[in-house]
Amino acid sequence: MMRRLYFLYGMLVLAGTGFAQYSGWSLDKTTELKNIPKSIRDNPGSYRSIYQSYHHYTGGK
Amino acid sequence: MSAAPPQPPPPPRPGGPQPPPKPQVKAVNCPKCGAAIVLRSFGKAETVVCESCHSILDATDPNLKILQTFQSKVREDPPRIPLGKRGKLHGVDYEVIGFQRRSTLVDGTRYSWHEYVLFNPYKGFRYLTEYDGHWNDVGPCKMLPTLVPSVPPKATYLGETYKHFQTCTAETGFVLGEFPWQVRVGEKAEVTDLICPPRVLSSEQSGGEVTWSLGEYMNGRDVWAAFQMPGNPPPAVGVFENQPAPVHESVGGVWRAFALHTVLLLFLLVAFSVFILRDRQVFSADYILSAGPQKGEVSFVTDEFQLGGHTSNVEVSTRADVDNNWIYLNYALINQDTGQAWDFGREVSYYHGHDSDGSWSEGSRSDSVIVSSVPAGTYYLRIEPEFAANHPRIVYSVQVKRDVPVFGFYGLAFLALLFPAIALTWRRFNFERQRWAESDHPLVTTSSGSSEDDD
Repeated sequence: MMRRLYFLYGMLVLAGTGFAQYSGWSLDKTTELKNIPKSIRDNPGSYRSIYQSYHHYTGGK
Repeated sequence: MSAAPPQPPPPPRPGGPQPPPKPQVKAVNCPKCGAAIVLRSFGKAETVVCESCHSILDATDPNLKILQTFQSKVREDPPRIPLGKRGKLHGVDYEVIGFQRRSTLVDGTRYSWHEYVLFNPYKGFRYLTEYDGHWNDVGPCKMLPTLVPSVPPKATYLGETYKHFQTCTAETGFVLGEFPWQVRVGEKAEVTDLICPPRVLSSEQSGGEVTWSLGEYMNGRDVWAAFQMPGNPPPAVGVFENQPAPVHESVGGVWRAFALHTVLLLFLLVAFSVFILRDRQVFSADYILSAGPQKGEVSFVTDEFQLGGHTSNVEVSTRADVDNNWIYLNYALINQDTGQAWDFGREVSYYHGHDSDGSWSEGSRSDSVIVSSVPAGTYYLRIEPEFAANHPRIVYSVQVKRDVPVFGFYGLAFLALLFPAIALTWRRFNFERQRWAESDHPLVTTSSGSSEDDD
């Protein structure tokens, strides 16, 4: 019984992995935006990224 | 409410074998205290204990000769199933006719358990044992078990192998009702249990005589239901020697399924990487970022590129010749036609050097990000670079790929497959550790901290 349940669970995991891969899902963080004005193509400065002013690492030992 | 009485014998057949005489409950009086004694075993019992004065009487003697007297307070330890109670086990009606408490002394601690004598006039005697809420349905063995010389000892019986669990000396401390043997308070027997959950083979050696019995684990609810007892049975405490494991099957089957799934997962990865995903580069360009006075807007857009096929992911890779430096790129992947965009920022930084510990390095000169579920269409990138002004010039390149494998999914899937197998194994091991902790062969010995697997 437990082996059957685990087998079914494993098949669901594999199916989920295949579906995620085929659908083009990702684990990385991006922000989706709608209706970006077409003027950006001619005037890139008219748009500002929400990731601007990120605190940059200037490290090293 | 009591169970139905034992079934009556079939009517006699002309010329056929005569059925046994009709059983009768016989009432006699105790020769010591005069209290009424009910004999329920129809002459099959050898001893009967007076419920009033607890004298042990010879049930085979018409005068009920007194065999032993002992002082006890029955109310201190009354049988959980009262004498005379009827119940159905294996489809057969049985009546509780006797009760005894036995105990054993292990490392200075006395462990007690209860045994109930059950009787059916046609099936004979059967027993129920109870320890800390764990019950066993016990009957005589149909044949002698075969002992297997091994350490620890084993025995085979009806095709099953039983492992030695414990050998101890059991002492009878209290008796009540009828018994099919010459019971005595204080009598001792060497009891050996061999287990093959949910069954237990028990041998009792007393006075040169060895008797074998076979028990099967029952939970209290089933016993209570069989005897239609009111309320709830006493809760089971701990893990009993022949208690079935919550994970009934061998965890080996789960690990075999895990291996199969892992192979299928690898197959899935290869299939997507080689046959299904196109993993096609759709854009590539090199850029130079120079320090100095800024001349207007630093952001720019790339040429357009086509993303074909079904909705799938897009990988944007950046490589920069940073050296103890960083570059930060504000990206926006924009659909030329719909205005749909994906905004993300990526940093490429690489630092290295030498100190008293030797050489060291941090970061990487390359970075990639995978944008999820991007529909087909015409796209371009808006890029807004940032970098430390103390470096004169950084060359970086940007590549865009369509339909790439996400290896993180396969790693997560592997962990999702691995975790339940480990959890089941741990649960099973922990259960067995608790089971064998009470045996002569504990899996984990606390004194030395070493492990012993009796397999």
